[in-house]
This record gives sequence, structure tokens and C-alpha cells, in this order.
Amino acid sequence: MTEGAMTEAGPLLEISDLSIRFGGAPSNLVDGLSLRLSAGETLCIVGESGCGKSLTALALMGLLPMPPARRMSGRAVFEGRDLFELSLDQLKDIRGDRMAMIFQEPMTSLNPAIKVGEQIAESVRRHRGVSRAEARAHALEMLCRVRIPAPEKRLDEYPHQMSGGMRQRAMIAMALANDPALLIADEPTTALDVTVQAQVLDLMRALQQESGAALIMITHDLGVVAEMADTVAVMYAGRIVETGPVARIFEDPQHPYTIGLMSSMPDLGPRGGRLVTIPGVVPPADAMPEGCRFASRCPFAAPACAEAPPLRDLAEGHSVACWLAPLEAVEPGAAEEVA
Amino acid sequence: MDGRDLILETRALRRRFVTRKPLFGPPVEVRAVDGIDLRVRRGETFAIVGESGCGKSTLARMLVRLIDPSEGAIRFENRDITRLEGAELREMRRHLQFIFQDPFASLNPRMTVGALLEEPLRAHGIGTPEERRARVAELLGRVGLLPQHASRYPHEFSGGQRQRIGIARALAVSPKVLIGDEPVSALDVSIQAQVVNLLQDLKEEFALTLIIIAHDLAVIRHMADRVGVMYLGQLVEVAPADQLFTRPRHPYTEALLSAIPVPRVGAKRAARALEGDPPNPIDPPSGCRFHPRCPYATELCRTTVPELAIGADGASVACHRAQELTLEGLAAEGGGRSPDAEKRFALYRARRSEREGANPSSPSQLTEI
Repeated sequence: MTEGAMTEAGPLLEISDLSIRFGGAPSNLVDGLSLRLSAGETLCIVGESGCGKSLTALALMGLLPMPPARRMSGRAVFEGRDLFELSLDQLKDIRGDRMAMIFQEPMTSLNPAIKVGEQIAESVRRHRGVSRAEARAHALEMLCRVRIPAPEKRLDEYPHQMSGGMRQRAMIAMALANDPALLIADEPTTALDVTVQAQVLDLMRALQQESGAALIMITHDLGVVAEMADTVAVMYAGRIVETGPVARIFEDPQHPYTIGLMSSMPDLGPRGGRLVTIPGVVPPADAMPEGCRFASRCPFAAPACAEAPPLRDLAEGHSVACWLAPLEAVEPGAAEEVA
Repeated sequence: MDGRDLILETRALRRRFVTRKPLFGPPVEVRAVDGIDLRVRRGETFAIVGESGCGKSTLARMLVRLIDPSEGAIRFENRDITRLEGAELREMRRHLQFIFQDPFASLNPRMTVGALLEEPLRAHGIGTPEERRARVAELLGRVGLLPQHASRYPHEFSGGQRQRIGIARALAVSPKVLIGDEPVSALDVSIQAQVVNLLQDLKEEFALTLIIIAHDLAVIRHMADRVGVMYLGQLVEVAPADQLFTRPRHPYTEALLSAIPVPRVGAKRAARALEGDPPNPIDPPSGCRFHPRCPYATELCRTTVPELAIGADGASVACHRAQELTLEGLAAEGGGRSPDAEKRFALYRARRSEREGANPSSPSQLTEI
């Protein structure tokens, strides 16, 4: 952990101005994204399909197929090195060791033809150069740590012999096998039943406390966000529209999209008539508005929104990309003509 | 309960699937649905909730005879439909329509939306070609699509729009009951809210009975009048939604509720997550099927199957200890959004209706897709 000690002062990961575009598309699918993550911090990136949250994660891991994807701009400095400047070999040394990723559907990311224990051991051997027996012992220890019942037996099972929750635990075991400083989890519990999701979230939190790893969790579930996050970044159509400490986002949501998203979720309270919705759909990449990308669906949209609003700081760490925030200040009826 | 009140009911409904036929010995069977007595009242929204593999989708498909029951009976409007065939089955299906989770998989990609919506009308011999075309246009408008969408193909639509097409297709023949198998769970939150609202509007407008299969408890809380909780092929609790969510009576219901991540900071879940995965339905546990995971299980639960007992309030629960246990539900006031956030939501709501009110017949309703 000597590297970790050196970078403790600065952020663990700093993404600046990341833009990603596909093929000849006229607009960026991730557009000028900047994020900072400290050691041990949990950042939840929340947004709906196509908002660019998974693309960002894949780009960090060097897993984005290029072409067709193109990185238009941006740096991602992780433990002092720009991930985008690394050679494939250098990246392979970092992946699975200093940073690791878990995916939504473990069945598609585990090799169906290799026993689970061997898959975990493989990553240990690749990065630590230990013997087969030592790697196997470490794999067993990892299966114990993720609380898989009968770990000795599971070591020699194939992924299809496990339940969904167990496979996700095995994925977590593999990702954490080399004590990464950063874990990226892309919708890790979305495919799981609610009781199993609760188990996996508890497990992730416990393991994170043990290992001190930072976590980037990508999710669409605001309940999961409230439970896991220190910091939240809300993404819409490739941009961060609001970011801040989790309590601020839930208690003082500023961006109309954040507010719309929260109020379109059914509350767990007594029934209260119709849900409030966000009208329309996310604009397609070939018809992305020049200015604020949410303007076409925003009930507050005003002439100013024709220009893209920058993320501006409201209070410590809480920033919003909206010209009109705070919304109380907006005159009712002031912007009727642009509706 | 008044018999005329019931629109759809099942008696001891069972469905077995053969999972494996060994060379010797009897075939290995899974009892996906194992003795369900369901009573759905006319005009209500009844939700069936449970985890993967509990048999909820099999049950839903049996209700419309997409899967045939192995045993038991299904009655629709007091008529036994368990063994209907041919023309009679087709006629009955007109009244019981199904909405699938993934509308893309259930819409023929080679047919235009117009043809897809007309097909059920033709199959049931409803109307002349002109009348059917008019009906298609009307249906499209009713689910928030545009008349010109009739000439497009399913792949040209987003997930939310496809679900609207699936709903329009189910509505085409003016059914009495709509059965939705996870109708909104594949959709993004903002689109999900649009479709939930649409289903509720349609239910009001056409006096439908809705049966919703779902695993998302928040959606169920919002939509359902009554809820049935399934575990390993059996109903373990049936109760009015308010009661079920605030005062659950089956330990499994309590466990489900406590596992919901609440979208409020500091609302940490009760640290009593269920241990383990649901057991294998091929070899369900003895006695109460929930006993290996139940924190309240006693010797009796290990040996004796609890009956689904109907209480004085019409709610029913299958638990030996239901009388003595006091279980924890969700707070009656719900997720408890912070007052400050609530002000913003009110502002957003007000602005939304103001903009909609300004031009009510504008395509804002139509583009909401």
C-alpha cells in the first residue's frame, strides 16, 4: 500500500473534461464530465438508460471498444497516472489489481467453462506471482470473506451451479482479491431479488469498511443511492447535472431533473394519486440540443437554457448545472413562451 | 364474500413442470405453482409479489390459459374456464388480456404497429376494415402515441413506447381484465411513472380489473388495492395494500419490506436481512416452506404446513404464529421525504401542471412517450 500512502493527500481519482463520442455522431454521449473521488469514498452515479454512466465506467477501465467509441477529450488521473495515457500492458497491470469492476449480470462476466475458484485464483496469480496452491488458498479466503456458504465446495463449482446472488458474491470476491484501491460497480444488484440485494449491499459496505477501497457505484435506484453513497453525481444525457454530498442531494435537490426523477418514483407511503412524471424522452444523440440538454423536458425551461449551463457551486461540494437554481426564485409564468 | 363480486378466482391451482427425465426412476418435477386460491374482485387492482422462481409468472399465465394448469380450477365470472378449448377459449380470452414485461419480445418485428393493433380485432372478428382502422387510431391516441405511428415498426420505438403499444394491443378488444407480468420493471424510472399513470387512467376509463405481477414493492404500493405475497409456489399472505405494507402478518412479508432500500438518507434498513437464497422449488422444505429462513420458526413450522387462513378482516395469512407475532412494516407516512425536498417537489408539480394546463390539447400528452 505504499502507492496509496503517497496519494493520500490528493484525490484517488480525478476525471476532468471527459468526452466520448461514437463513430460520426454529431454529439458527445459523455460530455465534459469531471469527477473527483477520495480514497475510501463511495460515489454513486445515478441516471437513466443512455445517460452515459456505464460508458464512463467502461472508459475508466479501458473496456470501451475504440473504435467505434472515440475519446474526444479528458484525463482520468488515478493514483497519479492518467489512465488514458497508459499502454495496454500497463493498464492490465492496474486492472484487477489497483482497480476492479463488477457488472450487473455476473453470468456474462464469469467464464462459464472455468471453476469459480480458478477464476479468482487466476487474477491473484496474474498480479501477485504466487504459486497455484497459494492462489487457491487466497481464493478460498475470498469466498469466505464474501460469506458464500460452504466455500470449499464452491471453489470447485462452475458459475451455472450457483444462484444469482452467489454468483454476484463470487464476482465481488474476484474483484476484491487483490485489494484494489478503487472498485467500480455497474448496477451490481439490479438483477437480484430484493432480499438478495439487501444481502449484497450489506456485504459490499462491510467489505469496503474492511478494505478501505473507494467505490464508484452506478445505479438507477435512488433507494440504493441513499443507502450507499457518500457523494452523488446525477447524470442526464451525458452530463453531470447535479453533484454533492448524499444528504444535500436528497434534502435539497436543485436540478429540475433530479427533482423530477425523485418525484416520479412511487413513494412507499399511502397512495397519493398520480405520479408526477418527467414528460417526453431523452433526446437521441443526433438531435441533442445545443444548450441545456434537459431543456426540452424541463417544466422550468427559460430562454437562458439555450446556452449550456456550467456546474456551479452552491455550497460546499454541492453543485448544479442549471441557470434557474434555486427554483424558488423563478417567477411563475415568466418563461411561458418557450414551453 | 359475495360471489358476484369476484371476477376471477382459482381453486387449488397447481402447475408442475418436468425439469429432468432420468433414464431410470420417476421424472424430476418442479411444482411451480402449488395450490393457489385466488379471489380477484371486479374493478380492483390486485398485485402479486414475490421473488424470482416463486411461480408468480406461471400463475399469471395460467389465469389467461397461456399455460395449462396441472390441477385445480380457474373461474372467470363464475364460469369454469380451466378446460375451455377452441372457439370458446378464444372468446373468453377476449376478456382477459395480457401485458408482457418485454414488449419487444412480444411484438412481431415484421408487422407495423397498425397491423399489430388490428390483429386482435381481426382475430376476434370485430368491425369492418374501416372501423378497425379507426379503432387503431383511437387506441394509439389513448395510450399517448400519434396516428402516424401506425405505419412504423416496433424497432423504431423506445422501451416506454413499446410498452404503450403492448398495452394498446391488449386494450384493442375491450377486455374486462388486464394482467400485466412486470409491465413496468424494464423501464427507466421517469418512463415507468408515465406507464404507471397510463395504466391507472385506463383502468378508470374502461372500468378494468388489473392484475399486476411485480417484484418492485414501491410500484405495488402505489398501484394495488390488495396484494398477494407468493413464496415457493404458494400464497403466504393476502391483504389490502395499506395493511400489508404497514402491518404485515407473515414473516416473509416483513422480510421483503425490510429489504427495500428507502430513498432517504439515514433510513438504514433494519439489519435483519434474510439469510440465504430462496430454497430450490424442486425440493421444497418440509412444513412451512419459509421455515429455514424464518427468524420466528418453531418445531411446529418444521413439520406442519400452515393453511392460508382467512381472518375476520378478509385478509389471509399462512403462518402458525400469525396470532402471536407483532411484525414490523413500513412507517405509515411512507418514505418520509425531507420537508425541504418536498417543497421542491411541490414546485415541480405546480410548474408541470401549469405548463400542461396552458395548452391541454397540445401534443405534450402525446410526446410524453
